[in-house]
Amino acid sequence: MSVYLDYQAAKPVDVRVVSEMTIYLNQKFANPSSLHCEGDEATDALSISRQKVADFINAPNPDSIIFTSGATESNNLALIGSAMRNKKKGNHIIISEIEHISILNIAKYLERQGFKVSRVPVDQYGIMRLDKLARLITDKTILISISTASNEVGSLQPIDEISEIAAKNNILFHSDAVASESVIPLDVQQIPIDLVTLSSNEIYGPRGVGALYLKKGVRINPIIIGGGQERGIRSGSENVPGIVGFAKAAEIMKTEINDEAERLKTLRDKLVKGILEPIPKSYLNGHHEHRLPYNAHFRFDYIEGESLILDLKDEKVAAATGSACSSRTLEPSHTLIAMGLLHEEAHGSLVITLGRFTQEKDIDKLIEVLPNIVKRLRLLSPLTPPDLIKKYNEVNE
Amino acid sequence: MNKVKSTQYTEKVLDHFRNPRNMGEIENADGFGRVGNPVCGDLMFMYIKVAKNNKDEEFIEDIKFKTFGCGSAVATSSMITEMAKGLSLEEAYKITRQDVADELEGLPPIKMHCSNLAADALRAAIDNYRTGADPEVEVATSCQLEIQVILGFEEFLGKGAYNEIPENLEELRDKRILIVDTGDQSLELALKLTEYTGRVIVLTSSKQVPGREEIAKKLKKSDVKILHQSELNEVKGELDEVEKVVIHDYDEDENYDLFVDVIIHMAYKG
Repeated sequence: MSVYLDYQAAKPVDVRVVSEMTIYLNQKFANPSSLHCEGDEATDALSISRQKVADFINAPNPDSIIFTSGATESNNLALIGSAMRNKKKGNHIIISEIEHISILNIAKYLERQGFKVSRVPVDQYGIMRLDKLARLITDKTILISISTASNEVGSLQPIDEISEIAAKNNILFHSDAVASESVIPLDVQQIPIDLVTLSSNEIYGPRGVGALYLKKGVRINPIIIGGGQERGIRSGSENVPGIVGFAKAAEIMKTEINDEAERLKTLRDKLVKGILEPIPKSYLNGHHEHRLPYNAHFRFDYIEGESLILDLKDEKVAAATGSACSSRTLEPSHTLIAMGLLHEEAHGSLVITLGRFTQEKDIDKLIEVLPNIVKRLRLLSPLTPPDLIKKYNEVNE
Repeated sequence: MNKVKSTQYTEKVLDHFRNPRNMGEIENADGFGRVGNPVCGDLMFMYIKVAKNNKDEEFIEDIKFKTFGCGSAVATSSMITEMAKGLSLEEAYKITRQDVADELEGLPPIKMHCSNLAADALRAAIDNYRTGADPEVEVATSCQLEIQVILGFEEFLGKGAYNEIPENLEELRDKRILIVDTGDQSLELALKLTEYTGRVIVLTSSKQVPGREEIAKKLKKSDVKILHQSELNEVKGELDEVEKVVIHDYDEDENYDLFVDVIIHMAYKG
C-alpha cells in the first residue's frame, strides 16, 4: 500500500461506520415504506440517521435533511430545483469562477434552459471577491451558490458575509460544504444558509450517499420523480445502509472534528515548510492561512504535473495534480486559471490532501522523495534555465 | 467502457519515462527541432549530429532531446532517439507518430495526438539540417517602441489600468499585477511591487530576461513572472474593473486569457 495523500479524491470508510452499516445490508434490509415490523425498523433507522445528520450541522429540524445519492446530486437538486421553482421570480443565478465542476456544469445546463449565470471572480488566493458579488446582484437574482471552500486549492470562502448579502436581498443562498465538511464545523443556525450540500464519503462514510439541507420554508422542485420519498423532493427507495453509515460518520465527525483539524494543520504546515524550503522555484497555491487545514497545493516551475505523479507513484506515494495532461478534457484546472495562473504554471501543480489516517511518517516520506523528483524532471525539461541546471549539477559534484 | 485512463501506460512507456535515453543537448548540433508549447503542457527539443556512412549516405550519428511534459511526451522523445540513432536521414525522416507508439507497445488513445510529438520534432530537426533555416522564430526587441492599440485599455484607466506609476502603491497590495516592459523604469517598478504582492508579471517582447544586466539579474532572482515574446492585445472586465487581459504570444502565434487585477503600461498614450 502506498502512502495515500489524495483524500480529496476519495476517503476510506471508517471501520466504526462499516460495523454500524452491515446489518442493514443483509439482516435489517426492509424498505422503510413497507408497513410490516421490518419496514418500521427501517423507518426508525432512517429517522435516527436523519437526526444525526441534522445534528452534525446543528439544523433545528431533522426534516430539513434530504438524503441523496451524493454531493453531485445534491448540487443538481439545489440549483436546478430552486431555479425551476423560482423562474417566475427571476432568471439570474450567481456562482463563483472556482466552484466544483458539478456546479459549473449545472450552471451551463441552466444557461441552455434560458437562465443567466454570473460568475464572481476570485483574487490571487482563490478567495471570492465579495465586493464584486454585491454588485452582480440584480432584481432578477434568485440564487447564489458559493462553496464553503475551494475543493482544489482549499481557500476558505467568506460564507458568513455572503449569507448576509443574500438574506438582505431576499435571495436563496446555496453552499456546497463538502470540501470543508471534515475540518470546519458548520452551524446553519449561526450562518443562515438556505441550502447546503453534504457528502457521506467526505466524512469517512460510504460513497453513493449525500444530503441536501433545506432550511425551513425553502421550496424547491424535485428533479427525480417517483414514489414521493424524502417529502416528495427526492424519490426512490431510501438507501438505508448507506444512510445509516453516513449518519454514523457524521456522529463520529461531530465529536472529533476540531482535534482532527488541529492535527492535520500541524502535519500540513510541516509539509509545506519541508517542500518550499529545499526546492527552488516552488510555490504554495492559494492562501497561506485562509485555507483548509488538510490541503497543500504546490506548484513547481518548469515541470509538468502528470510526470510528477508518475514519479511519485514509483516511490509509492499517491497524490494528484491540476495539470491538463491527467484530466479527461486535457484542460488545466479552471480554479488555477481563475486565480491568474498561466497555463504552464497550472500544469506544474501537485495537490496533496491529508486525512484521518495520515501519519507524520507519510509526510516525511514525501518531503524525502520530492526534491529529487523535481530535480530529475527539471534536468529533463527544456524550460529549466541554465543557471538552475548548473546549480543542480554543482550539488552533485 | 473502452476508455483507457490517460495515465495507464505500458511497461515500455514507463521504462522510457523512468530511464530516458539520450537525454540532454548537443552543442553545435547540425540540426535542431522544436515542437509543442508549454501552454499546452508539452515542449520538445530535438538535437541531431549528422555524419556520412561508408555508402556515402548521411546518417544520424548522435541524437539528444529535452522535454517538458507528461509521461508519454517524455517516453516518445526517448523512444525516437533510440529508433533514429544510426539511421540514414531518409529512413529517420519516415518515422511516424504511429511507429513511435507501436514501438512503445501503445499509448493511451487520448495521448496519441497531444503528447506524441517526437516524430514531428525529429522531422523538424532534419528539415533544419537540410534547409539550414532556424526553426525558432527570432523576434527583434527593438520593435517595442512602436506602441500598438490595446483594446479596452483607455476604458479601464483608473479602474485597474495605469499609464504611469500608481501614486499609492499600497492600493496594489495583494493584487495580481501585469506590467508591460517599457524599459528599465517599468522593470524597477515590477521589482518594487514584489514587496506588495506575490503576483507580479512582466510582459515583454524580448526572448531574454529584459533590462540592463543588473536589473535582469535581480529579475531572475525575484519571483516576478516573465512572459517572453508576448504583447498585450486587449483588456477585459465587468463592472468597471479590470478582470482579465488577452495576451498574444507571437512565438506560438496564439492568444490566451489571463486573470489579473492591475495593468501598468507606462508608455501607453492610446
